[in-house]
Amino acid sequence: MLLPLSELQRAAQEALQFLMAQKDVREAEIFVSCNGILHCRLNYTSHLPCNGVEEPKSVANYGIGIRVVLQAPEGEGVLVGFGSEPNDISLDGVQLALEKARRGAVADPEFVSLPRPTGEMRRLHAYHDPRIMELKDQELVDLGWQIIRQGLKAFQSAELLLDRDPQELALILGGDVTVLQERMAIVSSAMPHVQTDESTLILSFVTAMVEGEASKGSGYGAVTHWERFHGEAGREAAEMAVRTVGGVRVPAGRYRVVLGRQAFMDLLENLILPGLSLGTWYAAASPFLGQLGKEIASPKLNIIDDGAAEGLAGSKGITCEGLPTGRTELIRNGVLVGLLCDWYESQRITKDPRAKEKLGVDPQQWRHALVPRNGFRFARGGGRHYDMQPGIHATNVIVPGEEDHSQLLRLVGDGLYIGRIWYTYPVNGLRAGDFTATIVGDSFVIRDGRLAEPIRPNTLRINDNIHNVLRGIIGVGREARPTLVWAADEIVYAPEIAVEALEVQPITQFMGS
Amino acid sequence: MANQLELSFLDQVREDVAHLAMSYPSRKAHCRYVDVRIAIAQGKGAVAENGMDKFSTEDYSFSFGVRAIAGEKLTATGYFGQLLGAADAGELLKRLEEALEHAYDRALWSARHKSAAREEFPRLASTLYDLSLAPIEIRQDTIPAQYQIDPREVPLKEVAQYTRHVSRQVQALSREVIYNYIGAETHLERLLFVSSEGANIDQTWAITQGTCFVVVQGPDAFQELYDFSGHQRGWEVITQGVDEAFIRYPSLLDFSLALAKDAIELAHSPPCPATDQEVVVVTDPHYNALVCHEVVGHPSELDRALKMETAYAGRSWFLKDLRDNQVGRQVASPLVSAFSDPTIEGFGHYLYDDEGTPARRAYHIRNGIYEEFLSSRQTAAILGTTSNGHYKATEAYLVPLIRMSNTAFAPGDRDPEEIIREVERGYYVVGHRIPSVAESRENFRITAMKVYEIRGGRLGQLYRDGGLIADTRDFFMNVDAVGNDLRLFAIPNCGKGQPMQTKRMSNGGPTMRSRARLSGRT
Repeated sequence: MLLPLSELQRAAQEALQFLMAQKDVREAEIFVSCNGILHCRLNYTSHLPCNGVEEPKSVANYGIGIRVVLQAPEGEGVLVGFGSEPNDISLDGVQLALEKARRGAVADPEFVSLPRPTGEMRRLHAYHDPRIMELKDQELVDLGWQIIRQGLKAFQSAELLLDRDPQELALILGGDVTVLQERMAIVSSAMPHVQTDESTLILSFVTAMVEGEASKGSGYGAVTHWERFHGEAGREAAEMAVRTVGGVRVPAGRYRVVLGRQAFMDLLENLILPGLSLGTWYAAASPFLGQLGKEIASPKLNIIDDGAAEGLAGSKGITCEGLPTGRTELIRNGVLVGLLCDWYESQRITKDPRAKEKLGVDPQQWRHALVPRNGFRFARGGGRHYDMQPGIHATNVIVPGEEDHSQLLRLVGDGLYIGRIWYTYPVNGLRAGDFTATIVGDSFVIRDGRLAEPIRPNTLRINDNIHNVLRGIIGVGREARPTLVWAADEIVYAPEIAVEALEVQPITQFMGS
Repeated sequence: MANQLELSFLDQVREDVAHLAMSYPSRKAHCRYVDVRIAIAQGKGAVAENGMDKFSTEDYSFSFGVRAIAGEKLTATGYFGQLLGAADAGELLKRLEEALEHAYDRALWSARHKSAAREEFPRLASTLYDLSLAPIEIRQDTIPAQYQIDPREVPLKEVAQYTRHVSRQVQALSREVIYNYIGAETHLERLLFVSSEGANIDQTWAITQGTCFVVVQGPDAFQELYDFSGHQRGWEVITQGVDEAFIRYPSLLDFSLALAKDAIELAHSPPCPATDQEVVVVTDPHYNALVCHEVVGHPSELDRALKMETAYAGRSWFLKDLRDNQVGRQVASPLVSAFSDPTIEGFGHYLYDDEGTPARRAYHIRNGIYEEFLSSRQTAAILGTTSNGHYKATEAYLVPLIRMSNTAFAPGDRDPEEIIREVERGYYVVGHRIPSVAESRENFRITAMKVYEIRGGRLGQLYRDGGLIADTRDFFMNVDAVGNDLRLFAIPNCGKGQPMQTKRMSNGGPTMRSRARLSGRT
C-alpha cells in the first residue's frame, strides 16, 4: 500500500524547516516518494511445459532524499551533497540523510545552484487513476492472464491451427504487463511551496511466435487508466505472428524502407535521444555535436518531447526537480532546435569553456533551447526514486507526420517494411553514429507500393549510420501510437517513417530456410 | 533515531527468518514451498569528471524478496520484493509475513487461472503444467568475504581523492583528452537465503569496481573508449590492482591512463577497412571475453532456451525444443571448449545460487560438442536434470534469473605469439567494445578497441573503429588455434530481465584464431 500524498507532503515541509535551520546549509531540496512497480511476466509455449503467467511480482519502496549546498568548513566556496534514507520520512530519516549528504559532499566547480523557478507554469494536475493506485494482488494476476487469453484466442481462431498440431507449430506468447504507481512531493529553499505529483501507468509488451514456421509478431500498449486496459497486446502479437508465417530471405543491398513504429523507436531510444541529451554534449559524445541550430535531418522530420501532454502515457505534472514539465521542440523541419536538459546540465553548460565549440552556438543566446524540463529520478524499471539524483530522461516523444500507411508504402514502391529490430547499438561509439541491428519480426517485402511476403526473422543485419537515416527520411506517418522498447523510460508516440536507403546484409545462412 | 544498519544485523534474525520459512507452508492449505532472500550491503563510491569532484557517497542498502509456490490442482509461483531501511529492522519478521501473504495469494490465484485456461483452451493449453523444482542437496552454510582492505574501513575522503587524482592524471595526458569520467566503488554485500525445505545459507562478498570513460579529439578523428576493472576483493583492487592466476588488473590509475593512451593513439589512426569476405582473425582474451559472453554464455541460459525470454533477451539457437537441440552435437571446432564456473575466483564467484543450489562448473562446449545449459531448479526439472546453480538476482528484492557466473572459453596449449606469427595475412583484434547479436545469438557484430593488420606474421598498421561480423557456428567451427593465456575480465553491466537487472560477472578466454568479416565505419 502506498503512503498517502498528504504524508509525503508533510514530511517534505518538515524536512525543509529542519534543514534550513542548520547553520551550514545554504540551499536544500527535499524529494519524498513512494512507488509500486508491479509486473506479470508472461510465458506460454505450445511445445514446452510453461506457466502462462510466469511471475506475478512487485517491488515497493518509499523514502526521502535530500540535496544540500553546504558552506565549506575551510574558507570560501560550497560543497554539494546528496543523501537519502529508505522507509523513514520522519525527522529521524531526514537527519540520517543529512549526515550522509554532509559526509559525501564535494566541491564541484561546475555547480551553480539547486533548481530555481524557470518562469514556466505547471500545466498538468490530477491526471492519474486512483483505481490503479489500489491494485490488488489478484487484479495484478488477472492483467497477465487477460493478455494470455487474448493471445490464445487469436491463435485458436487462426486458420493455420485448423489442421496443424499446436505442438508442431510451436506457438510462443511471452512478454509482460507492468503497472507503475508513483507518488512524490518536492520542496526546496528556492521553491518553498511543497509540490506533489501522482502518476499511474499500465504498460504491456508481448511477442508471439509460430516458431515452427519461424514467424514473429509484436504487440504493445500503454494506458494511464484501468478501464483502458483490455489486453490487446496479446491478440495483436499472436495475429502478427500468424500473418508473418512463410517468411523469405532477402538478398544484401541498399533498400528503400519503411521503418515500423518499434524499429523507429529503437533508433530513437539507442541513438537519437541519447544524442539529444545535453549531458552527452558536455561529454563531447553526441553524434550531433556542434550542430545546434543546424539542419541534421530531412525537413520532413519533427521531434518533440512533451511531458505535459494531457492523456499521454509518459506525462508528469512536474519533473523530479520540481520544475514544470512541458513541450520541448528538439528537431523542427530537420533543424536541431532544442536539447533534453535537467537543471544541473543546463547550468553547467554555461560554465563550460568549450560550450560554444560543443554546441555550435553561444549557450547564453540559446537558453530557450536548453530549458530543464527533463530532470527525473527514474530507475529500477519504473518509479520516481528518492535515492537517485536527477538525470535527463525523455517523457512523451512525439513525431508528427502527414502520410498514412499506404502512402508511405507507395513512397517506397519496392523495398522493405522493417517492423521490429533488435540489439540496436552505436557500435563505434555514440558520436560516430554507426549502428547495427538485426531484423527480428513484423517485417515484409514491399512490392509495387504494397506489403508482399513476410521477411523471415533473424536473417538480415542492418549496418548503417544514423545520419544517413535522418537525412534520408522521405515520409513520416501520421498514425502514431505509444511504443515501448525494453528498459526505456520514455514513451514514444512513434509513427512509421519511410527512408531513402538502408544497408542490409544476410546473416545466419547456417540456420537454413 | 535509528543507526545505519550493519551487516551483522542478519546474525540477529537468521534463525527466526529460517523458522518462518520452514513453518509457513504448513499454515496454508495450498502452499507447497516458500523461500526468502534478505540482503544488506554497505559501501562507498565516488565519481570525478575532467579532474573535478562530482559525487561521493557512503550508504547501506537493505531489501528482501520472497517466492511462494502454491495451487490446488496445478501450482504456480508468486513473488514479492521490498526495499527496507534501518527503521524496519525491528519489524522485519512482520514485513516478511506480509510479503509471504502477497506472494502466496498471487501464486494461488495464478494457479487457478492456469487450471481454468487448460479447460478453456484444451488444444492449446495442455502444456500449462504442474510446476516443480528439481531436487537439491539442502545445505546450511556460512561463506565469508575475501579482502585485504575492508570496504567499510576506507575513508570516503580517500575514495573521492583517489578518483579525482586519476581523473586529473588522465586529463593531463594530452589536450586531446576532452572528457573523462572516472568512477570507483567498493562494498560488502551479505545475502541470507532460507527456504521451507530447510536451506539456510549466509554468503558475504566484497565487491570493488573501477570505471573509466574517455573521449579524445585528434586532428582528424575522435575516439571514445570505456572499460572496467573489478574483482571480489576490497579497496586494494583500486589502489594496488589484482595479480592472480587468470585475473590481472593494474591500479585504477594505470588502468585509466592505459585506456586513455589507447584512445589517443586510435584518434591518430585510420578507420578499419571493412571486408566483404572472411579473413583470418586472431582475437585477444579481452575481445574473446565479450564473444564468449554474447554467443556462448547468453544462449546457454536455459530460461532463454526454453523461450521464457522471447520478448526481450531472446532465444537460443542451441535449443529448438526438447527433441531438436544441439546437446551432444558438434557446434565448434574440437579445439573449442567453454564453461561457466561460479566456484573459481572472479567477478561472478559464489558457492550457492539464489535458491540455495550448490554451484558447480558447467561445460557448455567441450571439445566442440555442446554439453550443458545454465539452469535453475525449475528449468532443470523441465529438462529432467539437476540445477548447476546459476539462478541469481542482482538485488534481493528482484526475482532471480538464469545468469552467467565466470563464463569463459577454456585455454588451449598454444603460445599466443606463435598464433600471430603463423598468420601470413590477417588481423589481430584487441579489446572488446560494443556488441550487437542476433536474437538467438546465431550471428554477431562486435566492435574492438584496436585492430592491427598482420603481415608476414608481424603486427602492422593500427586501425580504429573496427570489429568482426560472423555467424556464430561458422566462427566457432573455423577456430584453428587456441592460446594458453586464459584471462578473466570483470563485466559489471550484463542486462537481462524485466525490470532490467544489471549483473556483475566474469567473462574471458585465451587468444584464439578463426575467420570472420571485418567491420569498419559506415
